[in-house]
Amino acid sequence: MRIQRAIPYVLGAALAGVLPLLTGAYLEQVAGSTMIYLTLALSWDMLLRSGQLGFGTHGFFGLGSYAAVLLFLETDIHPFLSIAFGGLVAGAVATLIGLAVLRLRGMYFAITTLALASIFSVVLRNLPQVSGGPEGKMLPSCIYAGDTTKVYWLILGLALLTIVVSEVFERTRIHLALTSIRNDERVAKTSGVNVFWYLVFVFAVTSAIQGIAGGTYAHVFGFVSPEGSFSANFLLLPLAMALLGGIHSTWGPVLGGLVLGALSEYLKLQIPYGHLLVYGAIIVIVTLFLPQGIRGMLRAAMRRVPSARGEKP
Amino acid sequence: MRLLRTMRRGQWVLLAVTGGIVVLLMLWKPYALIEGIQRGGLYALIALPMALILGVVGIINLAHGEFMMLGAYAAYWFRVSAGVDPLVAMIPALGAFFLVGAVTYWLTIRRALKAPELNQLLLTFGMAMVGAEFANLMWTSQPRKPSLSYVYSSMALGQLRFGTYAFIYTAGAIVLLIVLLAFLRRTRLGRAALAVGQNPRGARLVGIDVNRTYLLIFGLSIALVGAIGAMFLTRHSVFPSAGSPFTMKSFCLIAMSGIGNLPGIVWGGFGLGVAEAIVLSFRGYGGWADVVFFAVLVAVIMARSYRRHAA
Amino acid sequence: MKRMLALAVLVMLGAGLVAVGQDTIKLGAVLPLADITGAQGSKAMQLAVDEINAAGGILGRQLELIVIDDENKPEKGAAAIDLLATVHNVDVFIGGMSSGVHLGQIPTLKKYEKVTVWIGAASSLVEQAVVGLDWYFHVHPWDYLQGASYVEGWAAIAEEYPLIQIEKAFWAYEEGAFGTSSFQGSLVAHADWENIGESFKSALLGGGDYRSVLRHAQEEDPDIFIWVGYGADALPIMEQAREIGFTPALFVGSPPGWPADFGESPLANGVVAYGMWAPSIKDVSPVSQHFWDAYIAAFGEEPATYFAPLGYTNVYVVAEAITRAGTLDREPLIEALEATNYVSPLGETLTFSPSNLIEHQGFSKQKILQWQNGAQQVLWPFEYATALPMYPFTGR
Repeated sequence: MRIQRAIPYVLGAALAGVLPLLTGAYLEQVAGSTMIYLTLALSWDMLLRSGQLGFGTHGFFGLGSYAAVLLFLETDIHPFLSIAFGGLVAGAVATLIGLAVLRLRGMYFAITTLALASIFSVVLRNLPQVSGGPEGKMLPSCIYAGDTTKVYWLILGLALLTIVVSEVFERTRIHLALTSIRNDERVAKTSGVNVFWYLVFVFAVTSAIQGIAGGTYAHVFGFVSPEGSFSANFLLLPLAMALLGGIHSTWGPVLGGLVLGALSEYLKLQIPYGHLLVYGAIIVIVTLFLPQGIRGMLRAAMRRVPSARGEKP
Repeated sequence: MRLLRTMRRGQWVLLAVTGGIVVLLMLWKPYALIEGIQRGGLYALIALPMALILGVVGIINLAHGEFMMLGAYAAYWFRVSAGVDPLVAMIPALGAFFLVGAVTYWLTIRRALKAPELNQLLLTFGMAMVGAEFANLMWTSQPRKPSLSYVYSSMALGQLRFGTYAFIYTAGAIVLLIVLLAFLRRTRLGRAALAVGQNPRGARLVGIDVNRTYLLIFGLSIALVGAIGAMFLTRHSVFPSAGSPFTMKSFCLIAMSGIGNLPGIVWGGFGLGVAEAIVLSFRGYGGWADVVFFAVLVAVIMARSYRRHAA
Repeated sequence: MKRMLALAVLVMLGAGLVAVGQDTIKLGAVLPLADITGAQGSKAMQLAVDEINAAGGILGRQLELIVIDDENKPEKGAAAIDLLATVHNVDVFIGGMSSGVHLGQIPTLKKYEKVTVWIGAASSLVEQAVVGLDWYFHVHPWDYLQGASYVEGWAAIAEEYPLIQIEKAFWAYEEGAFGTSSFQGSLVAHADWENIGESFKSALLGGGDYRSVLRHAQEEDPDIFIWVGYGADALPIMEQAREIGFTPALFVGSPPGWPADFGESPLANGVVAYGMWAPSIKDVSPVSQHFWDAYIAAFGEEPATYFAPLGYTNVYVVAEAITRAGTLDREPLIEALEATNYVSPLGETLTFSPSNLIEHQGFSKQKILQWQNGAQQVLWPFEYATALPMYPFTGR
């Protein structure tokens, strides 16, 4: 039974893996950058499942990029190790910060994480000896020398890993704990959930994922800079993807990420001047008419179709 | 949500400390004090309408800065096509942007209020994109600003020579605060808005038309920020992305003062403005001004949270 | 209904992928289309393509321009290169604006090794990234070349007009990559000046209060005050300088583009502008005049950024090289590009020669311009000069 349930996922992953053999470099490149954003969207949602609204995705993304690039330039270790180091630094910083700020809730937590992301970028900009200052640092060569297929597999691996972590969060005790914290903290406490440490743990894990995504991005494109690596794009686009796809789930952000990633590229080619207007309008319209996100709409549609296997609708 | 607070004894102490700091600054860094209050006034002025929406309707309006940017473009258009001064254009902007706000509320926000809370973030994010791109298609990304001779008026006090026009933002923030407080305390609509902000269901029970209150408050806030856009244009260039940094600054100020604390926004704005100006006044350390802004913000939020936990 | 749907699908597929015939020569351009630089640059490219095609094309074939938006994001810029290379099969890559986007594109460009003629990306980091690429041609002057060019310019001006002597300079630069790299490049170049620098937050990024920097400049009393920022800073800086009573003898602005109607402000009169191009160059250059008239006739607006003449130049340089080479093969085309000698609408004749690190650098000179009575006039190089310098700056 368990094996049977896993089949569609394994098939999906295998399909995603062989996709580059069927398409060209262009689609690989688009799919790769979409999956970076998708990873951020999913990690943002994983924290949201505890009720904490994080606005610091771009901060940990940038921190991870810088950590990975600086370590790589200093020591010349394998890129993978430096990417992992990026995740480690982001996770460690998140743990330290989390100990202080995870007592905050709602908007106050959100704005604090946003402020911290800005502080990271300004501090790095103002330390030119360490970080290269406003111009940033360049890598002598990119990972896999820019081979799009290998880069695609690398990012796919990152996305799959994030999906697995997210599913682990969904299917273990963590899910119950986080959901109860989100719904009513007092109830969670009385039922024996250590609210604070759960929050610190989730904040550290999701920030580490964002740091790994940042390190990967930096190695793929070969540079870091305060303006580029801490761009608000790495906050706003993932947020839109998760919300559009449907929050509090693994597949919502994944769907939202794939749809928005494809949509933005498609609109850009069809409407060279002014595609962002249409993109924004679509976001507005979808929000209004699909309040539960794409995932919610699909689930509602599935419920209407009687199941072929005779299960309860 | 409490939109109003009465003065407590602790606040008198705070006032005295503030007074002391002001006097010290006047002697030590007069320019930082003057220019800090001016730039802080602008921050507070733009944040106040956003706080009104957040306090009453309960929405973080990510398109706030974009409405201001569109207000600035409207004033620019008035200036170019009819020669109207931007400060005069504030009056038609109030009316026009009330309509813009009311229609926006009717078409979009109203429908999203019943949806999960975070949908409003996505909705206003989409609106911000539409607004910025609309401006880009209309006026391109080339910055625009009318040339106005009164904006560089200045005065000399002994050795000090400083600009006087930018006090318009300081004065504007204080006047808007007083008007908003009076509106919320003294008028029927204002009191209804307060009640709705605190408890929409309860307000409905006592016969307040919640939807209409939301509509009027949203329209009013957008009207205000549109008019503020015209005022912004007198001293700043407008371009499609001119508004978005102010959305974030406003959000920061509101979080720093606590939701529902309108006076706190004005004092917080002045405080942050002066703190930034002090950093800027040290040569070679201007790049750290942002860190100070955010560090003060985080410190205040944390301090308030710990005080609450201790209590 | 079904037919409508089928038609819609066909149109969508058709518009993006299959364009004119297969025997066109394809130029693939990547530009930020939401920015005025990319918007006007791409229009000017199309203008050049239309002109060339109207005159019979090249090698008996028509030119085709495919423009992809990079949205000012590195990953979008890199995907655009892949799209142009694999789906459109373009023959040459052109375009470019931001250095930050271009750094992310270089790994992808290296994959295809197609001839690339780039008009943007002035950062010397980019130069380090393209060392040793024989198919890479860079048109825009690198940041340090710009600095060196102004050194030459001021020396020439001081010689011609002995009244104008500079010993002490104050630089106010925007705190991001653009301002900082310009300042650092200038520090090296202007070694004979006493240079003082301070950064400010550009209005483009939410700043807009320059008074503390201006006061520090005023305390130093420099012979020349130079701000390096964006167009959004231009008029507010002038107004705030006036507010605190700061009137250096030379007030210089170095934004990538000036705001609309800057010249209409009384404060603009006498402001020196650093740049590559000004509309007034049309008075001394027939090519520039032709470009100006043709652009306005085609699009009903005036070129407002130097990326318009740069984009036009970009297409002509490539087209002329293909004509000279007589083929699209890489080696002969590179050789033909190396022999480029194109009289550009920017004034200068474009040739390629080595810069510090790369073999194929195009322009190396900038121009010293001055706002006089509402228009930018050329002060230096003297061969394109359209007016005499106004000195000193009075601020009114």
